[in-house]
Amino acid sequence: MSRFNTKCNGVSRRDFLQLGLGGSIGAGLGNLLRMKANAASAPEGSSKKDINCILVWLDGGPSHYETFDPKPDAPSGIRGEFGTIPTSVPGLHFSEVVPHMAKVANKVSIIRSIAHTDPNHGGGNHYMMTGAPTPVPVSCGAVVTFHPSFGSMVSYDRGIRGGLPAYMSLPRVSRSGGPNFLGGEHAPFVVDGNPNDIKFRVRDVVLPKEIAESRAASRRDLRRALDRLPRFTDAAAKDPAVTFDQYYEQGVDLVTSPRAQEAFDIFNEPESTRDKFGRNDLGQRLLMARRLVEVGVSFVTVYYGGWDNHTKLFERFKGSFMSKLDQGIGALVNDLDERGMMDNTLLVVLGEFGRTPKINKDAGRDHWPHAMSVLMAGAGVPRGGVVGATDSKGYYASENVYRPEDFAASLYTKLGIDPHQILHKSSGRPVQLVNNGRLIKEIFT
Amino acid sequence: MNPYSLAKRMARLLERSVISMAFLPLGISVLTSELPISTTPNTISDIKSIEVIPQTLTLKLGDGSETFVVSAIDKDGIRRDVTSDFLLESNDIIERVGIYQIRGKSPGSATLSGTWNNHRIAFTTSVSEETDPAPLSFVRDILPTLSRAGCNGGSCHAKPNGQNSFELSVFAYDPKSDYDEIVSDARGRRIFPAFPPESLILQKATQAVPHKGGKRFEKGSLEYNRISEWIAEGTRYTTPGEAPLSKIQISPGQGRFAPGSRHQFRVEAHYEDGQTRDVTHMADYAVSDKELLAVSTSGGVEFGNQSGQGVVLARYMGHNAQVKVTIPNHHTDGTRTPSDFTETNFIDTLAANHFANLGLSPSARCSDSTFLRRAFLDGVGRLPTIAETREYLDDERPAKRKRWITRILDDPRYGDYWANKWADLLRPNPDRVGVKSVFMLDRWLRQSFRENRPYDQFVREIINHRGSNHGEGPAVIYRDRRVPTELSSMFSQLFLGVRMECAKCHHHPFEKWSQADFYQFAAYFGSLKQKGAGLSPPISAGTEVFYFAPGGSVKHPITDEAMLPKAPDGPVETELNQEPPRQRLAEWLTGSGNPYFSRAIVNRVWANFFSRGFVNPVDDFRDSNPPVNEPLLDGLAEHLVKNGFDLKKLMSAIMNSSLYQLSTNPNESNLNDTKNFSRFYRKRLPAETLLDAISDVTRVPEKFDGMPPGSRAVEAWTYKIESQFLDAFSRPNASSDPPCERDEKSSVVQALHLMHSDNIQSKLSAPKGWVASLASSEKSPREIVEQLYLAVYTRYPSSEERAIAEAAIPETRSARAQGIEDLLWALINTAEFVFNH
Repeated sequence: MSRFNTKCNGVSRRDFLQLGLGGSIGAGLGNLLRMKANAASAPEGSSKKDINCILVWLDGGPSHYETFDPKPDAPSGIRGEFGTIPTSVPGLHFSEVVPHMAKVANKVSIIRSIAHTDPNHGGGNHYMMTGAPTPVPVSCGAVVTFHPSFGSMVSYDRGIRGGLPAYMSLPRVSRSGGPNFLGGEHAPFVVDGNPNDIKFRVRDVVLPKEIAESRAASRRDLRRALDRLPRFTDAAAKDPAVTFDQYYEQGVDLVTSPRAQEAFDIFNEPESTRDKFGRNDLGQRLLMARRLVEVGVSFVTVYYGGWDNHTKLFERFKGSFMSKLDQGIGALVNDLDERGMMDNTLLVVLGEFGRTPKINKDAGRDHWPHAMSVLMAGAGVPRGGVVGATDSKGYYASENVYRPEDFAASLYTKLGIDPHQILHKSSGRPVQLVNNGRLIKEIFT
Repeated sequence: MNPYSLAKRMARLLERSVISMAFLPLGISVLTSELPISTTPNTISDIKSIEVIPQTLTLKLGDGSETFVVSAIDKDGIRRDVTSDFLLESNDIIERVGIYQIRGKSPGSATLSGTWNNHRIAFTTSVSEETDPAPLSFVRDILPTLSRAGCNGGSCHAKPNGQNSFELSVFAYDPKSDYDEIVSDARGRRIFPAFPPESLILQKATQAVPHKGGKRFEKGSLEYNRISEWIAEGTRYTTPGEAPLSKIQISPGQGRFAPGSRHQFRVEAHYEDGQTRDVTHMADYAVSDKELLAVSTSGGVEFGNQSGQGVVLARYMGHNAQVKVTIPNHHTDGTRTPSDFTETNFIDTLAANHFANLGLSPSARCSDSTFLRRAFLDGVGRLPTIAETREYLDDERPAKRKRWITRILDDPRYGDYWANKWADLLRPNPDRVGVKSVFMLDRWLRQSFRENRPYDQFVREIINHRGSNHGEGPAVIYRDRRVPTELSSMFSQLFLGVRMECAKCHHHPFEKWSQADFYQFAAYFGSLKQKGAGLSPPISAGTEVFYFAPGGSVKHPITDEAMLPKAPDGPVETELNQEPPRQRLAEWLTGSGNPYFSRAIVNRVWANFFSRGFVNPVDDFRDSNPPVNEPLLDGLAEHLVKNGFDLKKLMSAIMNSSLYQLSTNPNESNLNDTKNFSRFYRKRLPAETLLDAISDVTRVPEKFDGMPPGSRAVEAWTYKIESQFLDAFSRPNASSDPPCERDEKSSVVQALHLMHSDNIQSKLSAPKGWVASLASSEKSPREIVEQLYLAVYTRYPSSEERAIAEAAIPETRSARAQGIEDLLWALINTAEFVFNH
């Protein structure tokens, strides 16, 4: 019978590997991926498909006052304890607790005028992580997903490149960071552990410690020799084992690619670079994120929670909690710039909302979705840009106000994904990826 | 006719059918099979009759053309469209103006005839005098035009809040408000009676001004002219004496069609005054199965090369019509692939009928090893042990499989495996409802399946439940779904297989459930009350009690009318008095008169064994999504009811059928059969089953936080119990809304995890694991290989496999462990282990 192959190696892996890494020695991985991606997608806008994204998620909702939108002239009950400092952009001031980010202000844009109306963590997380409001009120503690997250959509749009999961999340998945109806294969690949730890390894994409490379190779040979289940390679037969083989071979490619393996090993990074990012969990995660996008991961979320500062906000922000972020983001921006990665990397730093103008009795600020600041950089986002403004006391976004849908449409557009495309749920029901979002035109100049 | 690439034709067709794709993703099949396509019968003598549609042509001069179609039907009852080669005899009253179009030439009536390949057929025709054209009506003429142009698709102006502030009802279910929206809103800008071409509605649709939805029709097109004239005539809503539409009809009716062929359909609108109208070019079309069928915007249906059955649907102004079509296999020329299929029970008889109808030959019977592995995994979610496998393979007594099926279904693992399936469907987000509540549901579920509680009783306990979320039971469902409409959506989907969610907001296109049906069903839960501590996420630890108290109505959102409880197709509950209406619902739901209930559960159970249901998704029964092999579905449903809803008896019947015991290896006739069950379809082991299987073959149990040592993955009761393995293999995540379907696809993350996870490596190299114990034993490599194969693959190795595997085990004792470790690694990384086959 010739219509299907009953030999153990009946599947020609080359038939399926479109973006494999095997045999890519000599060509830089990044280049190869870029070349192949260009070949695979339409000529127009193809370069956007090479833009990868690092999204730093400040879960809890960071205060806009104590970061990018200080209000030094507001009454002290609003202004807070901190002063302001000048940034590298003339006339632009940040809070004094973010000096490193102030220094790189001339390389990024700050959007000060994103606003929505969902004051709950659950709902806010969902809105800012997916671009869609929750259809029902979602209370603060809840973890929900009604719509695909940005990362899952990017994974769905681009697929696996070179065996690399397209969407990774460190060190955990953010609350609404899941795929929803796009399916489990577009859930984030979670890289847990602390990259500042001497024993840190990225899980699964590298060999277990006790398995030497030669042994892994002989294991694979043995597996190949013993793999006897017939495969029905005619596509009409829809043999799921054939799909399994494709993924398996991609995984093998990844683990046998020296360049990919090097990228996963943060200990290859010069000590000086590691120091710049800060020798702490967040700093090293940001560095790891850079290494991952560099090797071709399309979307990396770095989760950094703890921003729900209802109490003792100022005390906390004076300490390492804020300085880790400040140093890490400052270093990441400089590093991307020095490596020439700004054009093909989109960096986004945000949380689910801003904080209340009035400082509460516990020296904290409460939830406030009517104004929030978002840092964006790379991928053509203007250097030294400031988009929109809040009113003089920081209550409401007041100039060039944008909604989360606009933010989502802009993010997708930067990544070469049509934000207005129609997806279908399994029920056949059409869903627009982003509902009526318009572009934040200031970041598309 | 030359053979042509169907795929190409379908791609062209796809370009043309953009409009009808606005609702259903009418994508075109991936028809990769390279079988030759025959579009005409081999010999004319095969043809038994020809048929003209419609049988009576009634035309009016000046009224445009009518669709007509000629079919030839062969000795196997297969219908082919022969219109293009049909010769109409010359006459005075009608003329052809296109392959499928006929127009009146002069008044009169006659019996005309035509021929196709020496077959002659007569049909009656009458042509009436031209009269003044009737004035145009919004309802009768304009709304169909807008629908046809896709304006009121769910992702255009009919999405919530419309598009760019212009909002229409989905698929024209609310003509009055659509009329007001067009004629009165936007300060009348959409209509400019003084000079119709200036009307925004025409300018946008022709993209004379920017329109996000693109150009919908050309200036000067039929659509354009019709709207323009209607505006000029004064934008009538209806015209005097206009009869309402009573139904639409699609023809030809149910039938068999040749694979790889195309057939034109005709759609007729029937009005209450007895008038009819050809709306073939005005209707929307969809098909139930995009792999079998494709339909153009003008009602031309392409039949793919796969054999199967599907439905072609037409929709016109809120009315639906559908026709069931069968595409038999190419191999219906009498030389069917021989098959050793034996009819063991009623399942096989009904399956054999289905195969005969489609020209499919079932695959061969699977081997004993394959059967045993399959039956254990599907029945109770574990691999057979080495001892069980040996015992089974050595068993020479008759009716071996039958006896073992009984034994498997009695295995203590049955309860957890099936409870876990239901937990996928019922388990709410613990962040929302509290972990204890979820745990109490879990305990109840496991107990229910451990004791094989009859399914009707199981459902009645859910529907009638009263009490606390902190007592063992399903109360947490009510804690999670707090309003009647949420409960009714969930229960109709779970227990009836009917997705009513769409009807909450609009009349469902192509479906029969209306908004009223939805709210009537919800009304059963109006009198359900809670008291106690409500939700307080993320801990939500409060105790809450659910009970019945009279009062509490559910209102229709448009009419604001308080609805009386009524189930879809059930009686209206008028005399409720002090009886909880839920109780009535439970009785109706589980009663023998309800055809949906038993079919829905049969479909779910079937899908567990066969990878897919008769209806897919398994909870989406609707006329436009017909079951494959409906008689078999009905037969199983009847069996279940007759046996007191005993699920184990149902499973036993399924597992004892020859159908379940087919090999996965295809034959010449069924390689591309992926839905009729003529061969067994491979499926990846579910996350929990696979993890438990790995723990079993390494003999190192998994450790779960918060669960006692030795717990199995199938016992994990919330996704909050962390497991990279279970996440990689897509266990459902209860925080997703709607709850995700369990995803059984492979992924690169899964492959990487199998290959490299520290956890699996540590199971292989554990000092107390099986590998270590084999290595230090006195067993020979031959014995070790045999044991590994029995444990991992449920079979003995072949001599070739033995040679390779034994060579992997070094002679030196110190290196033995590593060799065995590598061998076991290799085996669990193969598809033969990861799949049920």
